[in-house]
Amino acid sequence: MTLSHLATEDVFVVERNDADFRAGQGMTKGLGIVFRKFRKALFGKPNSDRADTEGQFNVQYPEERLAMPEAYRNMPILLYDDATGHELCTSCFQCERICPPQVIHITQAKDPATGKPVPAAAKFVLEYDTCMSCGYCAEVCPFDAIKMDHDFELSTANHPELDVDYNRLLRPVSYYETIAPTMWSDVKEQAMKKLQNNIKRRPGDIGRDHGQKIKGGAPVAAAATPAAGAAPAAGAAKPRGPVAAIGKNMSEDKTAKLLAIRAANAAKRGGGAADAAPVAQAAPVAEAVAAAPAAASAAPTGPVAAIGQNMSEDKRAKLEAIRAAKRAERGE
Amino acid sequence: MADALTQLGFASWLSVLIASIIKVTLILVGGSVGMMFLTWYERRSISYMQDRRGPNRVGPQGLLQPISEAIKTMTKEDATPRDADKIVHFLAPVVMLGATVLSFAVIPWGRMFPVDLNAAVLFVIATGGLHSIGMMMAGWGSNNKFALLGGMRGVAQLISYEIPQVMAIIPVVLMTGSMSLQKIVEAQNDFAGLGWYVFSPVGLLGFALFFTASLAEGERTPFDIPEADSEIIAGYMTEYSGMKFAVFYLSNYMSNLAVCFVTATLYLGGGNGPGVDALGGIAGGLLSLVYFLLKSFALFFVMVLIRATVPRLRVDQLMSFAWKFLLPLVLVNILSASFWVALLRWDQQWPQLTEWFGAPSTADATNWGRLAIAIVLTLLINAGAVALIMRLTNRNVQKHLYTTDEELALGLS
Repeated sequence: MTLSHLATEDVFVVERNDADFRAGQGMTKGLGIVFRKFRKALFGKPNSDRADTEGQFNVQYPEERLAMPEAYRNMPILLYDDATGHELCTSCFQCERICPPQVIHITQAKDPATGKPVPAAAKFVLEYDTCMSCGYCAEVCPFDAIKMDHDFELSTANHPELDVDYNRLLRPVSYYETIAPTMWSDVKEQAMKKLQNNIKRRPGDIGRDHGQKIKGGAPVAAAATPAAGAAPAAGAAKPRGPVAAIGKNMSEDKTAKLLAIRAANAAKRGGGAADAAPVAQAAPVAEAVAAAPAAASAAPTGPVAAIGQNMSEDKRAKLEAIRAAKRAERGE
Repeated sequence: MADALTQLGFASWLSVLIASIIKVTLILVGGSVGMMFLTWYERRSISYMQDRRGPNRVGPQGLLQPISEAIKTMTKEDATPRDADKIVHFLAPVVMLGATVLSFAVIPWGRMFPVDLNAAVLFVIATGGLHSIGMMMAGWGSNNKFALLGGMRGVAQLISYEIPQVMAIIPVVLMTGSMSLQKIVEAQNDFAGLGWYVFSPVGLLGFALFFTASLAEGERTPFDIPEADSEIIAGYMTEYSGMKFAVFYLSNYMSNLAVCFVTATLYLGGGNGPGVDALGGIAGGLLSLVYFLLKSFALFFVMVLIRATVPRLRVDQLMSFAWKFLLPLVLVNILSASFWVALLRWDQQWPQLTEWFGAPSTADATNWGRLAIAIVLTLLINAGAVALIMRLTNRNVQKHLYTTDEELALGLS
């Protein structure tokens, strides 16, 4: 490298301070540094100053733990009010809609008397194994019902356990307040206000009977203890709830089956006005799906139970669909 | 030990057999347990150098960690590559471990000598040289290019570094007048057990050179070129798994232990230390063992410290370091050792020395004047040689690394 075109005063010489080093002196210096580190790590006090470069920084994990930042997020949980036991979730489906890996599955609660939807969830299943902890659900929730938990020790040998149902998702508000106090105090007022409004629209125990909601599910231990994360996983996890609405992208086969089941149910109930609509809707689809010969030979009447056990599921579904459609036409 | 057994009423052949079996068992157990401790010791100490804690869960302070590791490696599959030379592949770790265990036959534990061979130094060097055969067998037998590269590198390195290593011992042999390790230890027992060779200029330089060359012999960083894992996976050990790998590992650490033991014996007075002679008997023997182990493990700590500090050398740096740096210094050291011996011990051949300098220096009558002259002379020779060679090396380094300030100011290159 030639720098002769520069004036001497323009040359900035970096002070390396090792121009006088003989070979080996640099190594001796390095050994000294490493030995000093060794000494400080072995005899020095544990160092928690992250800006420092010497000392013992290790945290002996299972025994010692670092405090989590409030905004740390691992897996979503659902909140319920300590005082009333009412869940904050209104099953508005915002989280289900925004979830990128689509692991949230909600069924809306219905008033048993009127059959009308109630602002509460009947079933809530979250697949922890596929959840990517993005926190979108917590961000989008207008009722502050779904929040991100700090518990990260979720490893299990039982895979189905990771389909977490409502019982195991629920945590009291007081628990969330302990892990994220300022974040909760920011939203507390409006969340509680919205909850009071929703409680008015919830008849009976709907919205706070989460312990009994799922058949065979153990009553939630979380209701009693704030450390709900420790709640035992009661038995095998509940199978995923059926898809409530017929999607546009469902296969024809599936659509046919679903329609058949609905129609059969409607027929059993004697064809109430409320149920006529889906059946009528189903008719054209079923007709399109059903093979012509099968439709021709199908018995016009007869109980659903009479359909032979050895028929293929496919066929049976089609048949049922046709029968139901016909019954609906006759106005049974 | 055999004599004691004969006195107890055993037949002479039987007592020799029993004594040998006991010795062999002690050597094997001592070597293996020492190796286990060494792995733990290295991992813990290097952890603290890197602001970690190291294995501290299995047993008190993680002391039982090597046992769990041993169980783990034993339960792993012992795979042999399909196209490997199966016999050579199998024999390579055996040769490696065999060579290492052989060297333990003559290494003293404090003042306890398993076998007092009159050419023990030569024996240690010879068994160390067997390693290159094992390495080459592993590299060749695996039929794997990384293994072969590692084997070739290993052999090249070992052959290069054996020369300075052997020649660094010559001053010790000169000063002692014997190749027996027992005699060497005894010769360092002056000055109340502190007459270690490392305290003389010759011994100090010899110690530094021998230890450095031994690092290369034991494939320790910065000379771990045969198994440079960032370049050639694991070198000659690439195709080894399970128990065979464990045997390689065992042999590596046992040879490191042997290097520490030999260095401590040759230069740091072995089991000599203040109070050993005063105590005498079994207590003195135990104290000497404690001294010896302390010295050895301090040396191993230096090895670990170097491993934590210095990056791996390139192959050309490795070679030029051996041939251009270590070898000239070793030759100079032999020269100054000759002066040392001539001044202090050579009166039989050169009686005028007695006239000039007075009586020779022996254990019972130390001639301080002669000793001072010898020290000054050898110190001048060694320090001059070190300064000269470092200056030469330094000039090369500076020329290659960056332009000096003067050159910049003058507008030269």
